[in-house]
Amino acid sequence: MKKKLSFVLNDRKITLEIAAQEVLLEVLRDKLGVKSPKCGCDRGDCGTCTVLMNGKTVRSCIVLAVEADGQRLTTLEGLMKDGQMTPLQQSFLEHNSFQCGFCAPGVILAATELLERNPKPSGDEIKEAISGNLCRCTGYLPIVEAIANVNNALTPPGRERLGKKVRS
Amino acid sequence: MNGLKFVGHEEIRIDGKPKITGAAQFVDDLDFGPGLLYAEIVESPLAHAEIKSIDTAKAEQMPGVVKVVSGKDFPFRFGLYMHDRFVFAQDRVRFVGEQVAAVIARDPVTAKKAAKLVKVRYRELPAILNVEDALKPHPLLIHPDLKSYKHVPWFFPQANSNIAHWRKVRKGDVEAGFKQADLVFEDTYTVPRYAHCAIETHGAVGLFDYSGRLTVWAASQSPFTQRNLFAEALAPLGLSHKDVRVIAPFVGGGFGGKAGVSMEILAAALATAVQGNPVKILWSRAQEFYNTYQRQGLTAKTKIGVKKDGAIVALEQTLHWDAGAYVEYGANVVNAAGLSATGPYRIPNVKIDSCCVYTNLPPGGPYRGFGYSEFLFGLESHINETAKKLGLDPVEFRRRNAIQEGDPLTYGSKMNPNGLIECIDKAARAIEWSKKEQSENPKTVRGKGFACFWKAPAMPPNASSTAFIKFNEDGSLNVLVSAMEIGQGFQTVMAQIAAEVLTVPLSKIRVELPDTDRNPYEWQTVASHITWGTGNAVKRAAEDCREQILELVERALGQKREDLYLESETVRSRSVADFALPLRDFAINGIMMKDGTYRGGPIVGRGMFMPEFSSALSDAETSQGGKPNVHYTVGAAAVEIEIDKETGRVRIPRVALAVDVGKAINPGLVRDQVVGGLVQGIATALYEDMRFDAKGRLLNPNFTDYKIPTAMDVPERVIPILVEVAQPDGPYGARGVGEHTMIPAAPMIANAVENALGIRIKSMPITAEKIALAIKSKR
Amino acid sequence: MPILSEFEYFKPSSVREAVRLLSKHKKPAVLAGGTDLINNLKEEIDQPDAVIDIKGIKELSGITYKNGVLTIGAAVTFSELLDSRVIQSRFPVIAEVAKTVGSVGIRNRATMAGNICSAVACADSGPLLAAYEALILVRGSKGKRKVLAAKWFKGNKRTDIKKAELVTAIEIPLPARRHAGCYVKLGRYSGEDLAQASVLILALPGKQYRVALGAVSPVPVRASKIERLLNGQHLSDELIAKCQALIPGLISPITDIRATKEYRSHMCQVMFARGIRAAASRFSGNGPEYGVNLI
Repeated sequence: MKKKLSFVLNDRKITLEIAAQEVLLEVLRDKLGVKSPKCGCDRGDCGTCTVLMNGKTVRSCIVLAVEADGQRLTTLEGLMKDGQMTPLQQSFLEHNSFQCGFCAPGVILAATELLERNPKPSGDEIKEAISGNLCRCTGYLPIVEAIANVNNALTPPGRERLGKKVRS
Repeated sequence: MNGLKFVGHEEIRIDGKPKITGAAQFVDDLDFGPGLLYAEIVESPLAHAEIKSIDTAKAEQMPGVVKVVSGKDFPFRFGLYMHDRFVFAQDRVRFVGEQVAAVIARDPVTAKKAAKLVKVRYRELPAILNVEDALKPHPLLIHPDLKSYKHVPWFFPQANSNIAHWRKVRKGDVEAGFKQADLVFEDTYTVPRYAHCAIETHGAVGLFDYSGRLTVWAASQSPFTQRNLFAEALAPLGLSHKDVRVIAPFVGGGFGGKAGVSMEILAAALATAVQGNPVKILWSRAQEFYNTYQRQGLTAKTKIGVKKDGAIVALEQTLHWDAGAYVEYGANVVNAAGLSATGPYRIPNVKIDSCCVYTNLPPGGPYRGFGYSEFLFGLESHINETAKKLGLDPVEFRRRNAIQEGDPLTYGSKMNPNGLIECIDKAARAIEWSKKEQSENPKTVRGKGFACFWKAPAMPPNASSTAFIKFNEDGSLNVLVSAMEIGQGFQTVMAQIAAEVLTVPLSKIRVELPDTDRNPYEWQTVASHITWGTGNAVKRAAEDCREQILELVERALGQKREDLYLESETVRSRSVADFALPLRDFAINGIMMKDGTYRGGPIVGRGMFMPEFSSALSDAETSQGGKPNVHYTVGAAAVEIEIDKETGRVRIPRVALAVDVGKAINPGLVRDQVVGGLVQGIATALYEDMRFDAKGRLLNPNFTDYKIPTAMDVPERVIPILVEVAQPDGPYGARGVGEHTMIPAAPMIANAVENALGIRIKSMPITAEKIALAIKSKR
Repeated sequence: MPILSEFEYFKPSSVREAVRLLSKHKKPAVLAGGTDLINNLKEEIDQPDAVIDIKGIKELSGITYKNGVLTIGAAVTFSELLDSRVIQSRFPVIAEVAKTVGSVGIRNRATMAGNICSAVACADSGPLLAAYEALILVRGSKGKRKVLAAKWFKGNKRTDIKKAELVTAIEIPLPARRHAGCYVKLGRYSGEDLAQASVLILALPGKQYRVALGAVSPVPVRASKIERLLNGQHLSDELIAKCQALIPGLISPITDIRATKEYRSHMCQVMFARGIRAAASRFSGNGPEYGVNLI
């Protein structure tokens, strides 16, 4: 039996009909063409399907799409404003925070939620906040460093780098 | 190498923005329209069995099912180095999870439901689940036809056994060496199986169109190798290489797991069964664990002979690899490890037996480190124990025996230039090796561990890389190569090399993802050889462009060729001070002559690199002769740990890894390889392993119970140290580094645990539980 | 992975309506955070004919504290528990437990009521509720009832809930005017993991203690024997050692791929010793901060 639902996705109102058993991740990807949330484990372990629901991260692989009815959803596609990356995204770019990039959408949303609540988190707070997002490439330290640097917080010790010569 | 403007600089990665904005497309992100079909695999529930019958009738009748296929539809064998693998199981299954049949349906739900309706009858055979059983006299043969399998000339399968390949190395006289030694001792070390755990699972989409063209989109480290294997395996269907196209979008992590051909063969084969429709096959996380390559298990018996002064005079290594049901790729891991199982040490008398053993567990295969992590766990643990017995400092002991340029390798040829000693010294200094750390907490104890490492690219001697560089109207350029961006940042490194030669900034360079139709040949993105091999090809392609440009300017404008050079995207002359011709003025449209005619035209460069000095042919009984390895990258790592004596938990306040990269094209990217690689390696030491039950079923095919580290489980401080002793045949002196950063992790941790507690743990992983129970039983 | 079976979805706005839906359907499933349920649907462990989402029921969504009783609505997430002022000030050990559940993306959805309805042996809420002598509030078509935590857990994944009943809230009585606590959880590393063993300790005035163990028996274990030994006594090393010696006799840990029974048993003793000292020193106002990992 189909259910009609409507929600706000990346500031746009969406109305669609779906079956009750459809999973939010699959509806976003396959019905709405929003591809930044990825499927990594399909059971809520890896966090790469993370989306924001009313500003809080949820794992869209273990959410029924019908549960989104009336809610406000944000994916990585909805973060940029006027084509500009957020300061957090810019920091990730400058710190070489991602390698393959598959976990990036989830990590960026988890960090977005964290900074919203706590603009100047400590290194441990950052690690705790992103600990539900698995990354196999980076060893996390470049991610932690980028988040710590967004609001000019101190760089937590972790990854030693020489002075960066950043050019574009 | 002074005056480099791009090479050696920490340029921001050029694939960063697509990945950070969500624009990067991975294979499951591509759209294929309403004609897309979905495949679901029927898997073997048994580790070893004969297939008696397959009944697909019920599945075929289900509405929405397009086709059901099984082994009889694809009676083809394939493999990278040995043809021992099948598209679908034929008369027997050899591991739990092996593909027996597939249902192709219009939607994934129907495919899954229908797959449950396929009935397969088996006659169960005894399963061989470990190396000891596989090597018993007169064993049940997992591959009775082994002797007839096609394989590369450097493999030596043993008839009437489960040994698919036996690499023997005999150098000097090992018995004489042991006699001459003041101390001889041996021990056995075991390493379980491990999983790559790229966060993106394997996926592939195949389309066999009505013109007879087969296109496969795959999450792949090896598009050209896949094209080759698809074309070979499906040749009976009338396909030639030109008809097969592999397109590789961004890959969500590889680590070796997406090299060669594993499940991708299914997309290729299934596409031919449903001509005209694309068919998608996407591995679940569980399938990713049990039906792709796994890192092979190893039982290593290590025997060493040393003189009192610390000189190693003899080494015997018996390496038994649990290679799984199919070894078409894994046997080369065994081969590579066998050739290098001395570690980076100068040892005159060596005997190595590296045996690739079939078992009824999932196929083994390439994993970051390619066998070196596995044998170095035992060897570097053993080296530490040896130093202890001799009363020598383990760092000093390694230093005395460290291999140096020109020293003979196990197979006779000479060691390349390297900075091993510098790496040893710098890694030791970084963690204040000689300072004994006291723990403030009485419940904890501190220790330090050290390990050296080395690794050569394991590649066929004719593994080649090619590059095209195409200029655009505005002087920007596209670099076409078929190496794969698997996160290591290779696109940025290639762009830096092209930029250096052509003086074009990175903002004006794109490096394209592989498409075997459009991009030139690359063997595979494996073996940490891309910066070296593909880098050489890109450098040559850029130099080809530069030659064309300068030759054109000479020909069209009469400038003296030898005075011309490139600077800031402009051709300049040393003899004519005001001569300046921007590339954008002629890179596509040529240079206009006074009479209105043009000279030149689109600048397209070509570069190729093949290590023509390499040869894998050698004596089967000794491995002497030939030059199977192009060079070794060496280094050393050191760690300080703190162990909670009650819980066994290990905390890592600091860890350093020094590696001789020849030349860091992008030092920032190299340092971040060190961070990521060390964390992956440390996880194999502390947390991860694959567990199987008595029926060969994997017990932890998920992240709930296969624990890869989270952000809370990483060292507190990682100190990457880059040493640069140039590789003479590398681009700007560079050699590979991607795999090396995880190789020393496990023995380094084991040695630190021993240093802290006096307990030698000889089996991986070294979990908190293992440490705590060992402390308890010691009391 | 899609969910293969079909079901009807309901989002009632009152408990009465939810209970009516539960009794109307043959195999209903209650959806709160869904972190267990959706996986069970995917793996076909649960094949309900109706999924009843309780997040639209206002009365299930609050945390209230009145007359010495903390009431946690069935739809309250672990993140909400962590953020709750009254929990931070009066029941900080509840927040300490909540912080060990999954990670942020799980805690934003998962509920304590869901945790005790799934009732896996490793549930973090088990020892907490056992030690607090909490009450599980249940509503059915025949009315309300309250079940003591000790009677709620019947076995691994088995509870006292009857057909067509809904857990509406959990009541946690303040055990004393002033108290402290400590939760120590054994995972395979610092990141997200299921408990391989857990110890929850409450320190009350007059050197009274409550001790509960999780994940080492099909149901949470209230260690009354240890409590009797401890109560009123000075916490000496000898006393703690005596208590530790009792632990193996109180639990029935299993060996599985997560841990051996030997390690679980050993760690219960280690965690008990560290937990009791932390709880006692927190009671005296100088213990480690809540949320700090003691192992």
